[in-house]
Amino acid sequence: MNAKSKIPCIPIEGSISYEDWLKGRRARRESGERVAPKIIRRKSSSSDKRLKKLFKGERGLPFTPTEKL
Amino acid sequence: MDPKKIKSALKDITAEKDPTIKSVKLASLCTSLWAERGVKLVVVGGSAIEILTEGAYASGDIDFCHASKANLPVRERQEVMGLLGAKGGPRNWQVGGMFVDILGPLETFARTGFRHIDAPYGQVLLVAPEELLVERVLVSVYPEKDQDAEDCAKKFIAAVLDGYIAMDWNEVCRIANLPEYRNLSEVEKIVGEVADERKIKNPLHPD
Repeated sequence: MNAKSKIPCIPIEGSISYEDWLKGRRARRESGERVAPKIIRRKSSSSDKRLKKLFKGERGLPFTPTEKL
Repeated sequence: MDPKKIKSALKDITAEKDPTIKSVKLASLCTSLWAERGVKLVVVGGSAIEILTEGAYASGDIDFCHASKANLPVRERQEVMGLLGAKGGPRNWQVGGMFVDILGPLETFARTGFRHIDAPYGQVLLVAPEELLVERVLVSVYPEKDQDAEDCAKKFIAAVLDGYIAMDWNEVCRIANLPEYRNLSEVEKIVGEVADERKIKNPLHPD
């Protein structure tokens, strides 16, 4: 557990429960957003043909906005 | 796994709109089904980083390697993925509204173990973050500067420095010093940058 915020930490030993992993999603996202752009999905890759076909021209499903995590 | 449970899981996964939750659920289902046949699947690369960091980095596919000595024979792979209504194969499939790639045997030098999430349809194994980070930093620099990989590495470091992902920094340094990577200076540089930016103590230079 993160001492400051009580956000569960993904541990080295043992496992994290699904509920704890869900609880930490927003905090983990927000950490990253302080040092890099919000969305950093690559613009292209060798898998583009199949991805864009399945995801209607995109490379995957849209990410859930941070405030909804 | 009971066919009814598989059907119900698949329905849940197909309906899931959050890409990271969808990945975790699908990873747990695939991992369980392959484990029943003696093969240990581990999530690798950007898919693993996304599950660890929520960095909005991954695309609509999930990459696995197998950590057991042997993969399933092609026929058995098609049968097990057939249980999920998958299309394609024998190394990548469309299933549940995304793609699953089994890349081959796991290449890892990490002495720290896999990270584990007790997900809805079984345990998900993630390759050691210590090596994931070193690998991402390498890709951000070689063969040429890659801004997306650098941003991904920075987000990863930020989540670790904030205490949300446990990391063995001695192991990070050991891996980065291996002949296979030789990028300790780049790792130190980017960790230092993020620590400075976030005004957090640099774990690689604690003084």
